[in-house]
Amino acid sequence: MKNNENIDGKIEAAFNSIDNIKRATPNTYLLTRINARLGNQAKSFWDNAALFMSRPVVMVLGLCLILTINLTVLLQNKSSAYNTVAERTLNTVAEEDEYITTFATIDNIETP
Amino acid sequence: MNQSEPELIRQLQRGEQLAFKEVVDLYQDMVYNTIISIVQNEADAEDITQEVFVQVHQSIDSFKGNSKLSTWLYRITIAKALDHEKRKKRKKRLAFVQRLFGEKGEAQYHPIEFNHPGVQLENKEKASELFKVLQQIPENQRIAFTLNKIEGLNNQEIAAIMNISFYAVESLLARAKNNLKKKLTNYYLQQSAK
Repeated sequence: MKNNENIDGKIEAAFNSIDNIKRATPNTYLLTRINARLGNQAKSFWDNAALFMSRPVVMVLGLCLILTINLTVLLQNKSSAYNTVAERTLNTVAEEDEYITTFATIDNIETP
Repeated sequence: MNQSEPELIRQLQRGEQLAFKEVVDLYQDMVYNTIISIVQNEADAEDITQEVFVQVHQSIDSFKGNSKLSTWLYRITIAKALDHEKRKKRKKRLAFVQRLFGEKGEAQYHPIEFNHPGVQLENKEKASELFKVLQQIPENQRIAFTLNKIEGLNNQEIAAIMNISFYAVESLLARAKNNLKKKLTNYYLQQSAK
């Protein structure tokens, strides 16, 4: 019984201990430190960008992207080169046909 | 305050450094006192106070003026303090797991006796006991109790900050007191058994 009263008294005292509590105050140089943080954050954009780029996932994805672009360009060039060869062959055949036709015409003239 | 709150907010939104300095001067004690009462560590409280004002500087454009500036600041303050608490708990859990697997994971979080700087000297011991058990009650009860007893806010102001009804604040405070009484009883029983 006495123990319970004692505990109740302690609880009451614990609650009363913060009755006249004053506000805690931060360090005097708080504003200077906040401004320093703001300055650092403004400067650190490129740092953040570099940090982002150096992440393994970003690096691997970037590498894959570059390889894909290279491969696409290479395949496009190959197909256009093939087209050029085909075009040249056609032109040559056409020129040869023309030559033969021309030759035949001259031959015809010379024939009595 | 040298000027009206809406004018101060407009100047802040225009990025005027003097207005920012005025806001820091006006609210630094309020922010720091709330944080130190939640995180119960002076160094951490200093750090989080800086974070709060950096956040204010960066997101003042999103402040619509639907509530008082102090209410908005309290919300940022509480969110940052609770974030810090969660990070600290995560670190504590990680250190525990590392110790289980035999890694050299020393506990990074040692609960030490906290003395609020604003408590009168003769009440330091009792207040320290109260702060110890305050850490053990649910988060929303702890916030309501801290705002009411340490920051001296009334239920209406707490309701605006926590975005709950007046009656919900009353209920939270009643439950907080009951829980604190239970925890203190257990604490004193353990002490007397030693």
